[in-house]
Formats: sequence, structure tokens, C-alpha cells
Amino acid sequence: MSEKPKVAWYWCASCGGCEESFVDLAERLLKVFEAVDIVFCPVAMDFKREDVEKLPDGSITVALINGGIRLKEHEEMVKLLRKKSKIVIAYGACSAWGGIPGLANLYNLDEALERKYLEVPTIENPKEVLPTKKIIVNIPEAKMKAELELPEPLPVLLPLDKVIDVDYYIPGCPPTPDVFWNALQALLSGNLPPKGAIVGASNRSLCDECSLNETKPEKVLVKEFKRPDKAKPEPNKCLLAQGFLCMGPVTRGGCTALCIKGNMPCTGCFGLLDGIVDYGGKAISYFGSILDYSPVEDKEIKKAFDSIPDWVGTIYKYSLASAKLSHKAGAKKPKRIKEVVEI
Amino acid sequence: MTEEPRIGVYVCHCGFNIAGTVDVKKVAEFAKTLPNVVVAKDYVFMCSEPGQDLIKADIKAHNLNRVVVSACSPSLHEITFRTAVSEAGLNKYLLEMANIREHCSWVHHDKEKATEKAKEIVRMAVAKARHLEPLQELEVKAETSALVLGGGVAGMRAALELANYGFNVYLVEKAPTIGGKAALIGYVDPKTKGAEIVSKMFDRVKDCPRIQVLTNAELIQLSGFAGNYIAKVRLNPRYVNEKCTLCGECEEVCPIEVSNEYNFGLNKRKAIFLPFSNAYPPYYAIDYRVCVKCGECEKVCRFGAISLKEEPKVVDLKVGSIIIATGYDPYRPFKGEYGYGLHQNIMTLFQLERLLDPDSPTKGELIVGNKIPKSIAFIQCVGSRNTTPGAKEYCSRMCCTTAINSAVKIKEKYPDMNVYILYKDIMTYGSDETLYEEAGKKLVQFIKFEEKIPKVSITPEGLFIDVFEYTIQENLRIPVDAIVLSIGMLPPRDIEELIAVTRVSCGGEGFVREAHLKLAPVEAPTKGIFLAGCITGPKNILESIRMGSAAAAKAMSLLSKGKLTIEPMIAQVNEEKCSGCAICVGVCPYSAISIKKVNGDRIAYVEKALCMGCGTCNAACPSGAMQHLGFKDIQLLAQTRAVFGGEMNV
Repeated sequence: MSEKPKVAWYWCASCGGCEESFVDLAERLLKVFEAVDIVFCPVAMDFKREDVEKLPDGSITVALINGGIRLKEHEEMVKLLRKKSKIVIAYGACSAWGGIPGLANLYNLDEALERKYLEVPTIENPKEVLPTKKIIVNIPEAKMKAELELPEPLPVLLPLDKVIDVDYYIPGCPPTPDVFWNALQALLSGNLPPKGAIVGASNRSLCDECSLNETKPEKVLVKEFKRPDKAKPEPNKCLLAQGFLCMGPVTRGGCTALCIKGNMPCTGCFGLLDGIVDYGGKAISYFGSILDYSPVEDKEIKKAFDSIPDWVGTIYKYSLASAKLSHKAGAKKPKRIKEVVEI
Repeated sequence: MTEEPRIGVYVCHCGFNIAGTVDVKKVAEFAKTLPNVVVAKDYVFMCSEPGQDLIKADIKAHNLNRVVVSACSPSLHEITFRTAVSEAGLNKYLLEMANIREHCSWVHHDKEKATEKAKEIVRMAVAKARHLEPLQELEVKAETSALVLGGGVAGMRAALELANYGFNVYLVEKAPTIGGKAALIGYVDPKTKGAEIVSKMFDRVKDCPRIQVLTNAELIQLSGFAGNYIAKVRLNPRYVNEKCTLCGECEEVCPIEVSNEYNFGLNKRKAIFLPFSNAYPPYYAIDYRVCVKCGECEKVCRFGAISLKEEPKVVDLKVGSIIIATGYDPYRPFKGEYGYGLHQNIMTLFQLERLLDPDSPTKGELIVGNKIPKSIAFIQCVGSRNTTPGAKEYCSRMCCTTAINSAVKIKEKYPDMNVYILYKDIMTYGSDETLYEEAGKKLVQFIKFEEKIPKVSITPEGLFIDVFEYTIQENLRIPVDAIVLSIGMLPPRDIEELIAVTRVSCGGEGFVREAHLKLAPVEAPTKGIFLAGCITGPKNILESIRMGSAAAAKAMSLLSKGKLTIEPMIAQVNEEKCSGCAICVGVCPYSAISIKKVNGDRIAYVEKALCMGCGTCNAACPSGAMQHLGFKDIQLLAQTRAVFGGEMNV
């Protein structure tokens, strides 16, 4: 047995971007492989659940978990990894706060399934097949039946720390290679930050590292909210001061303002700063603060707010599942999930 | 504070005020069960000497480092208890008030439920107290001169008071003369007109070297803070200097004629004019807004008193305190309101007062439409007390006395004239009641109307008023030769600019609001700014004068120390967290925040003396870097969690 720290990497409800960010470490990957042993990593290596179960408790040094907890399978796996690991890290926005898949919490499970499998314009599902716990497939050619068991969806998507104890968080959608690298360095150095810390990123909001911060006028006050698909930003001028809903001021820095360098306002994937309780709540209070209507004109203010069609998707894009109001109430027992379906 | 909190909770009976509705013993027992509470007691009057001594003794005996007083509103006794805890050696900001009187016992009847609520309030206060930090007051140097805005009776009185006690005063007046409305109209007592009081005040102002009168002047910008204001004042050109002998030749050659606002539109005046005979400063002025600079006056003046080359100037005045006394505007009746503007014999009370003035175009004779009317009717409450759709809700306070006084004077001069006063209610309060009696004796006829207001008809036969007389319950049709509309008061037209520059706040009726009618009268919410006269709402002349004195007294208490103590419960930036996003700069109503560079980083900077501790920046700060000392997020969250019965630890 080598003395190198053991690392496990597991994926839950995610898009694959987090894994991509790992690959984006490029030549630095070699240094990672030099420094650690990877004992579990479904995206790249053929270890199975049984392999993890066989490991002694606490024998994994660090478990990196990305994606939100959407299925019973995710819940079981992360609980298993918690037991086997010294340190658990929520990797990326989905794992930390629910991420974009967490926006499904605006619907109860039945509505979400209907939307996903029946209503979405890109779906063709004439037999209206929905996920079921057990599916029996008749294969007439082979004169046999095959049984498939699917993991059951949870009523809502949960961020990792609602399911297991989380030691650290690495923010981002996905975390940038530099942020991941910084976090790795910090963790491997053995100089561990206090529990619950967000590692690898900044302690100030994005404005601190944004080159356009200097272009801000003395007072940031706007008469209307703009969207990048409807209006063209002027170059080299603070997007917020131009009226674009930039989440920069309310979002943790660390990404070096990559999106803004591409003339896109920040959408907030690095999440909230220390001491903030609810990301969207803070965001809406700050947007309310920069609207310049003196004397107050209700109609104009309403017009400005109505110009943004999806407020929840704007202010809770990455964090609805961890918000104070995190999901739609009611309908705990989904009706659309059948026990067995035979096709 | 790393030290473990040791909290004492003191529940006050306030006689029966609290104990009558809340079981104070149960509340004290409950408090003992809360985390970090070392001692909890109840007492009949916590604010009394023995009550305070109880707290002081416990601080020493139990080594308390936090105190929660569960009693009345902090605005009433917080200072009392802060003093008490500081006398026992504790930082006075380690005190938290739990208001179980105004917020609980006074508004509930059910003793059981009120007791439960009082417990919750105490629980919240304890939750916050666990996170309290010691704070230190700050001191800054302060200017000892004052700025008085508005040269009416209130402003002059304030300036005179300040000057009498040795403070230098800048008296800034927009018009070319001081004196305000009281110089033109108004009544003080049966023997005294407003103009006489004003004239006496002029004499004192003239003789006072500490008062610098700046006429034709406007405050255009205000920066700084209490004790250290910088007032930017624009001095508009008067074009006429002190060599003027009031000969009036210039006025004759001036080709520009405009409505004379000093007679409320009764006649016209020239672009070069003397506002009224004893105006101060006592020389002519050219209305810079209408003058075409033809130069005729300059040519004709034999004394070299006129120079059209004069330019507007802007001066910076350093003052410690500001008194705003910019007065009111008369109500403007709309065309056709009681026939106003449709007939030359229908005028406002302000116009009548000017007509009766010896200075008037008719030399004080009541001549309307070229003759002395045989009958005249006053209609009261025009623009006040909801009489017409455009009218305000309030009573304008001065119209009844002024109208009745005019009626009496008319009766004295023209005993045969029929004088009617149509009124809703007569508001001759206090000693002015004698005036009402006098009018009755002089046979002025009072006609009362209620909801149905009088109707004025203009017919070829003359003017008629139809009114339902409320006391005799009968419809009357009164033929009259002249009608006087007793108009009320409006906030001054330029109040928006005043608010924009001085950041005072507006009350419901459009006048400027005092910080608190009982607890902070005469004060604006911004420290160092005081209010006097009709800018806060309708007043009669004497009330305005008294308010001028009151504002001066408050200003003096600030100016006399030459230094200023600053409340430490203000905004504080965590420089480690601030990203310089500047959201706070735009929301600060006191312009207290700016962005500064600290080691190359943009950081928000709070000017402590300017911060009024409103908390707006704290709420707006997107990154949690701006915290309100005494109301930090961690303290408020603890309180919020406590009220919902959550964990008391954040």
C-alpha cells in the first residue's frame, strides 16, 4: 500500500461540467496523480460500489462529490462515502447549493416528471413512459423478460449538506481549474481551514477582481434592468452601471471575472459570501437598492422588475435548493411513479 | 468578545402599566431558563433610583457583562439604563432593552397571552444581548456659527437669539428683502399687525454685527455633517448697492412691468423695484430674472448705485448648525373657485390685506372696481379643511383671525358697510377669542356653513352668494359687492429643491417633518438641522416666532460645545470583505459613504460624523461587508431566530 492520500470522486445530479473542470487541469493533472491515489471515480475508472464498501471506514482521505442529491442512489452513495472518508468536499454549485438542477424544486416531483418526460418541446414520448421503480422488458425474440430496477427520485433535490455532514465547499459552475488547484494545494498542505469553509476562492465579492470595477460611477443607480439578449453592453464599462443584472457584487470572487471578460454579466455560480444567509434574498435586496426612483414611482419600479421574466431563475440560479424557501410545498407522495411497469 | 456572556435580566412592573397585563414574575422566572442568563429579577419601577441601584449592585455581585432591561420603549429610558450600567463600570452599549410595555402590555388585554408574548420579547433581547459588543463614542470638532435659511419672522427670531448669545449667524433669504410674509400681511393682536413686529425685528437685525444678512441668496448645496457643514450659497445679483437713496427715478424709466408678488398680484411692479416701503436692506433691487439690461436705470441714477455688470457669486459658508425657516406659500385658488379670477371684485385675503395697507395702490382705502363696496363677504377655509377638491385637510390657523381682524378694521373705517363672514368653524383660539367678540359687537355678520359649501354667482345684477345657513337651517341668497377668499397655506413651491439639498424629510401634507413631535420637536432627522416656522406646517405669527426661538436654543446646545459626540451605533465596513462594489454609496441618504483606495483595493469608507445609523447600506450591501454596529447581522439574526423559537446560537 502506498502512503499517498486516497481520493474518491463521485457524481450525483450533474451535467458533467465538474468532471470537465478536472480534465482542464491539463498538465497539472500529472502532479495530482503523483500526489494522490484515486480509489473511486465512476466517470473515469471502473471501481464499483462494492469496492468502496470493502474499504475500511475513514480510509479515504478526501471524497469530492459533485452534483445535487436527486435520487435515492445518490443519497445512499454519499452516505457510504461519508462513512469511508475523513474529509468530504461539496464540489461545484450543484453539490454546494443545488445548482441549476435545483430549480426543479419550483415544481413537485409529479410536475417535474411531467415537464421533463412529456411536455418539453424537444421530447417525443407517445407512450408516455415515465421512470418507474421496476421495469419489466419483454424480449419476444429471446422469449425472455428482463428486469431493470431504477433508483427512485427524491421528492426534492437536496444540496449535499442537507444529506450528510460536509467539511468544505469548492464553488463554481463548474469550479475553474485554478480554484480547484488552489483548493487542492490548501488541502494537501495539511493546513486545513475551519470546517464549513469555502476553499479555493476569494473572501470578497467578484467586483474586487473585476477589471470593470474601476469604471463604476460614484453612485451605482439605474432606471431599468437590461438583459444581454436584448441589449448590447458598451465595452469597458461596468455592466451593472449600464443596467445589466450582474450578480458580481453579491457573488464570491475567485473566477477572475471570466464571464464579464466575455461581456456577459455574472450569473452568480460562485455563490454567497461568508455571513450571508440567503443568496437570492440578498440579491433582490441589492437590486432594489440600485433602482433610482426618487420620488418613488411604483409604476416605474414595477415596470423595471417586470422586465425580468424569471426572477427565481435569475437570483437563485444556483442556490434555490439551499434557499430559505427551497422548494414547492405539498405533494410529498408522487403519483406518477409506478412500482412496476411492463413493456 | 471572547468572554462568556453573563446576562442579568430585569423585568419592570411599571406600576400597573406592565404588571397589570403581564405576569412579570413569570417572565423573570422564564428569563432564568435562557442561555447565559445569570440572574433575573422583577421590580416595581426599574427606572427609579432603587431600581437602577439593583442593576448596579448585581453587575458587581454577579460579575455581569450584559444587561437586559425588560420595560418600556428604548426611546424613553434607554439613556437612563445606559447611564446606570456605565456607572457600574460596564460599557453602556452592553445594554439591551426589551420593550414589553408599548409593544406588549399597552396593546393587549389577555394576561396569559400577553405574558407569553413578553417572554418571547425577552427571549429575543437575550438572544441579541449574547452578541452585543462594547462600543465607543467619538468626538469631532464643531463650528460655532449657524446658517439660518429664510428671513421671515421665524428665521429672524432664530438669528437674533443666536446672535444675542454670541454666535455668528448667516441669515440667507431668497428674496431681495427679509421680512417674509408677516411683513406684508397678518395679525399679531388687535393692536399689532405683523408688519410692525417685522419692522421692530429689522431694527435689531440692523444693529447686530453678528448677523450677516444675505438677500437674493439661495442654498444650492450642502455637504459635511452636524458641527461641520459646508453650505454653498449662490448670491444672485441685485445690481443696486448701498448708495441707493430710494429716490425712485430708476423705477420710472424701467420699461419692464411684471405682476407684483409683494401685493400678491394686486398691481404691477417694475423690474427695478422696492419690495415694500421699509424693506431691508433699504434699497432698490433689480429682479435678475426679468431684467433685460436695457441700461435705462443705470443712466438715470445720479448716485452711481446701479451696476448691471454684477455677476452671481457662490460662497462657501462653514457652519455648525442650520435652521430652516423658509415658510409657506399662500394657497392658489383655481380659476372659478368661488368665482376667483372671473370677477375683479373677488380677491384673496392676502390681496385684501395689502389693499388695506397704507402702502397700497389705494393708500389703504378699500376701493374695488373703482368704488368703495357697500357690502363685502369673507369666505373662510378656502384651500383648507377639505372644502373643495383641491383643498388640504389641515386648518391653516391664521386665516380666521386675519379675516376677522380685517373685518373689524373695515367696520371701524366704514361703519355702514355690510360685512359677512361665511365660516365652517371659527378658530380664534386662546386670547384671539376677544377679537371674535369684538367683531360681533361691531355687527360683523357670521354665517355658518357645513358640508355644503357656499356658491358664488356672477350675474349682470352683481355678485350673489347662496349658502345654507347651518344654525338657522335656511337657504340664504346674499347680494354682495366684493368677496374675499380666506386662503390657507401651502408648502412652499420650491420645497422639493430644499429637500434635495438639505435631505430633510417630508410629512404627509407636504411640509417638512420634525424628527419626533414629542421627543425631538424642532429637529430635522438629520443631526444639526433644525426647523422653525411654517415650513413644518401652518402657524400664526407668534407661534412661528416662538418656534424660531426654540430652534435657536437647540442649535445653541450643539454650537456652544465647539465639539460633537458621535453615536457609535453607525455603519462599519469590514475591509477584509468589502469589494468596493459601491452599491452602498448610492443608497446612503446622508452621502456618508465614498469609495477609497486602501492598499490598491477599492474599499467603501464611512464618514462617521455623517452617518446617522439608518442601516440602509447594511441592508443593501450584497457581500455582508457593511455592518451596523449595535445591529449587526449576527445580532439581528439571533433575535429573529429567537422569535421563531429557533436555536439561540447562530
